[in-house]
Amino acid sequence: MKILKVAAAAAMTFALATAPAMADDKPVVGLVMKSLANEFFKNMLEGANAHEAKRGDYVLKAVGMQSEADIETQINAVENFITQGVDAIVIAPADSRALVPPLKRAMEAGIVVINFDVALDEKAKEENGVELAFVGPDNRGGAKLAGDALAQKLGKGGKVVIIEGNPGADNAHQRKMGFEDSIKEGGLVLVESRTAHWETEEANTVATNILTANPDIQGIMAANDSMAIGVVKALESAGRSKDIMVVGFDNIPAVSPMLSDGRLLATVDQFGQEMAANAIDIALDVLAGSPKPQGWVRTPVTLVTGEK
Amino acid sequence: MDIVQTREASQGQTDNQETLQDISPDILTVRDLHKNFGGVKALKGVSLSLRAGEVHALVGENGAGKSTLIKILTGVFQPSAGDILLDGQVYKPAGPRDAKFRGIQVVHQEFNLLPHLSVAENISFEQMPRTRLGLLDKKEMDRRARVALDAIGLQDVDVNARVYSLGIAHRQLIEIARALQSDSRILILDEPTATLTDRETDRLFNIVAAIRAQGVTVVFVSHHLNEVFANCDRVTVLRSGETIVTEEISETSPDQLVALMVGRRLAKEMALEKTTTELGSVALSLQNFRVAKSPYEEGVSFDLRYGEILGIAGLVGAGRTELLRGIFGIDPVASGQMMREGTPVSFASPREAIKSGIGFVTEDRKDEGLILDMAIAANVALAALEKVSQKGLLNRLAELSLADRLGSMLKLKSGGLSDRAASLSGGNQQKVVIAKWLARDPSVLLLDEPTRGVDVGAKAEIYAIMRSLAQKGVAMLVVSSELPELITLCDRILVLSDHRVQGEIPREAFSEEAILRLAYQRKDQGI
Amino acid sequence: MNVEATGLAQTAFTGRKKLSFKSVLREAGIGLALVALVIIFSVTTEHFLTANNITNILTQVTINLVLAVGMTFVILIGGIDLSVGSLLALCAVVAGKAISLDVGVPMAISLAVLAAVLAGTVCGLLNGAISAFWALPSFIITLGMLNVARGAALHISDARTIYSFPSEFNAFGSMTLYGIPVVFLVALMLALLAWFVLTRTVFGRLLYGLGNSEEAVRLAGHSVFWCKVAAFTICGFTAGIAAIIYMARLNISSPIAGVGFELNAIAAVIIGGTSLSGGRGSVLGTLLGAFIIGVLANGLILLGLSDFMRQMITGVVIIVAVILDHYRAKYTRN
Repeated sequence: MKILKVAAAAAMTFALATAPAMADDKPVVGLVMKSLANEFFKNMLEGANAHEAKRGDYVLKAVGMQSEADIETQINAVENFITQGVDAIVIAPADSRALVPPLKRAMEAGIVVINFDVALDEKAKEENGVELAFVGPDNRGGAKLAGDALAQKLGKGGKVVIIEGNPGADNAHQRKMGFEDSIKEGGLVLVESRTAHWETEEANTVATNILTANPDIQGIMAANDSMAIGVVKALESAGRSKDIMVVGFDNIPAVSPMLSDGRLLATVDQFGQEMAANAIDIALDVLAGSPKPQGWVRTPVTLVTGEK
Repeated sequence: MDIVQTREASQGQTDNQETLQDISPDILTVRDLHKNFGGVKALKGVSLSLRAGEVHALVGENGAGKSTLIKILTGVFQPSAGDILLDGQVYKPAGPRDAKFRGIQVVHQEFNLLPHLSVAENISFEQMPRTRLGLLDKKEMDRRARVALDAIGLQDVDVNARVYSLGIAHRQLIEIARALQSDSRILILDEPTATLTDRETDRLFNIVAAIRAQGVTVVFVSHHLNEVFANCDRVTVLRSGETIVTEEISETSPDQLVALMVGRRLAKEMALEKTTTELGSVALSLQNFRVAKSPYEEGVSFDLRYGEILGIAGLVGAGRTELLRGIFGIDPVASGQMMREGTPVSFASPREAIKSGIGFVTEDRKDEGLILDMAIAANVALAALEKVSQKGLLNRLAELSLADRLGSMLKLKSGGLSDRAASLSGGNQQKVVIAKWLARDPSVLLLDEPTRGVDVGAKAEIYAIMRSLAQKGVAMLVVSSELPELITLCDRILVLSDHRVQGEIPREAFSEEAILRLAYQRKDQGI
Repeated sequence: MNVEATGLAQTAFTGRKKLSFKSVLREAGIGLALVALVIIFSVTTEHFLTANNITNILTQVTINLVLAVGMTFVILIGGIDLSVGSLLALCAVVAGKAISLDVGVPMAISLAVLAAVLAGTVCGLLNGAISAFWALPSFIITLGMLNVARGAALHISDARTIYSFPSEFNAFGSMTLYGIPVVFLVALMLALLAWFVLTRTVFGRLLYGLGNSEEAVRLAGHSVFWCKVAAFTICGFTAGIAAIIYMARLNISSPIAGVGFELNAIAAVIIGGTSLSGGRGSVLGTLLGAFIIGVLANGLILLGLSDFMRQMITGVVIIVAVILDHYRAKYTRN
């Protein structure tokens, strides 16, 4: 990948900004992603690369960030893409408000913009007079799938705990709400809800301590699989693997052994690898003349369990 | 140089003062000022008066009380007793700010400038001009700086230049410009010429003359008597925290001042004569030895023999400490040669100097000599850890017995060898430093101000230790600002000035006058 | 001059007398704070003082304790090491790669341990050598290393979690001996070793000296350079050990592990009474400091306080502990 070279490329192409983007007339798609230190986005990028190779009818330029909160880099990337005169920008915004103005500029420059993974803020869009569809998974609905699986196993009155992601992160919030939907619907009892900042070691510690304070809990819902791994290990150490159920989210490779032996009841796959590719497909369709998508284009979300 | 009328001079002062008082009124009068730091009496009766518009020199040996007096005048210290009158009213500055407000400014030897700010910013630093909105008024600041610089003849300095880009002389002058920013009535220059060349010094004195023409009183502290005689109206001599005399310059001479600065020492200290020992072979020999700071190619040359105590005298800045640091491998050597027992050596680090049997009792006990937070025993063993350890493991009993043995040898008084070194008195701390080196049985010992901050009793004990080491054949190089100390201890004294040997005095010719004459010879070849 | 053989062996180097009231206060002050916390949590929560929970606390303290022991060496000489959290991730990833090699379980585990320890040690050595050779502040050098190590960890692992370690290795992570986690015993042994090195060896003596006055140590003929390098190397070494413990406990290696661990380690050291400017402190203090942080994290969850409250209280306790230590130090010195 040539992520780091994009800035240099941007500078070089600046002089050619008015010229056609590519000589062979293949449309150029700029992909703006979040932290590539995150396995999820790493997979997504690889999916997109594979997709580019498979379709062969467009050129992909991808930019990642240093960390989850590196909004600056994303804004710069969007602006560089505008300068380069790409045909489409496909973006997983790091901030649902801050990215709206630069994306508006991109649209004004005639670039097709597709927002995926995290939805831009409705109000911010309205204020800026931007109409932009969102292509992405339903984190809340996905979490509810996992939560429902747990609720079904435990039955009414089952005592559960939520291990949350980073407070303030939109997907963390959505997933927590999804879990809470299941709890309400399935008649579960929420004993505690705590953050472990998406992190395995912290989830391990937090789960251990919650278990000490509440030995009677029956299920734990973790907002991602990294934390689910820490939770599973905590239960193993406490000798409670048999009687406490765990669900996660993301379906990362590391949990597959846990799913097969039942230490993890279920996780949710939002097909991250295909998510960027799907968004690119939509962008290319629009470029080919299809109508612009409206509202929320939901991408598939599936429950994954050990019983396959 | 002949010293004849030593005593008469001090008697003459009262008459002079009274007759001249009518001509020009006193702006500031200091009466019987005392200042104690704990048990140490830094000032024990300083009286002084300054006339409006005069240039008044303040001279005295290191430790005579000049700095303390200045610090009291500028509000840094409060006097223990005595009072100061400014324009006939009691003057008790609450702090440096207050002193400045009252018109007393000092330009220090060490610079107080902020190197990365501009000249203008430095000059206005104490009172930044503001616009009506409370913002920094840069125009006004530059204007003021220009005026201040022009006033002292620095037309060629750009007010926006960064201070670090200027030479030392300019910095010194900018300090003066800054001091003159506020309405100065008394300007104290503390050794302003120590770092200046002759031309720069001339320029400084032109400025001093201009300032004085504006009616500002200038107090001039200097070691250089030729400057005092060329530029000052009156001179006050301090010695051991007391005013000895205030004289009209026209009625005294450099010889007379030197004699007054030295005075007559305690008979007791003088009595502690070194018993002559047979000197051994040459332990350490320097030829044109020059540290990086030394400006002259010739450097320093001497032979130090086993059993000999060689004194190094000189003024502050003469390069005494630098010489010892160079020998010990702390600072790089620029040129010249060092021989140890006839073999050329060069020490890249103290470690190598120590290996060759050299020890260094530094001037700065607190930072370089001791680790104050550590136990006495640990400090004693610090340079000889291999003697109290096996394969890197410390043997604490060995350490204690080492400290115990050396402690009793040096008559160390402590609450216990496990107490922190900081708990000891200055004299006992110094004994610990000496013990640290004796633990290695050095054959050459460098000592820098070995009795600084040490009381009289401990001083005598340290002298005794050094003498007995000489008896045992240890070669010693002693730097001291206390001339009686050198006279008492040494077999020979080298006087340094400007990193060069200005002269060598054999034991039979020892006298403070002889030492000082050589020491002051830097610029005043005349006296 | 009196030489009391009794008090000496223990305290000759720090200059404290053994059983005086002040010295007890000095060493035990932070211990008293720990006891107070334990009492508070024992009274206010049902499960705090149970065998299981004590086992949990010991496990949870382990990684921070290991890192803090290494950090003690660095802080004692007046330095700081911000890279240990990232180093942990790098070591874990390197070891994760090694342990996944198909060379038989015992060999793979040995290789993993060796790889982790080696990676940490080398990075620590670089930290020390660079900051000592050019006399640069360790703050900025280790900040650089923080990024280098994190980047390397992500690069080597391709940003993926490495999993599926041999079950023998996994078992070691959760093994207990009379209710005491084996990993904690490892950390405790490390702390003991560090205590011995700092108090009983020439090297340890020089580290204390360096923190107090580098010049005095240099002028006494010792190599300041190598002492500094060694201190940072030890700190890197402990990051390697901590990485192994991390892997054994969680059975994964994550390139994003250990974010912010350096701050917890520094906090443990400082709470334990080691002076941030160097020269003063002890491993015993660090041990207590690590326990204060661990007990606080555990107890506050048991109390059922919200995440945000917990974070605030932890911060307040750190600040109060250091203020108390300031007064304690002042009082015991005069």
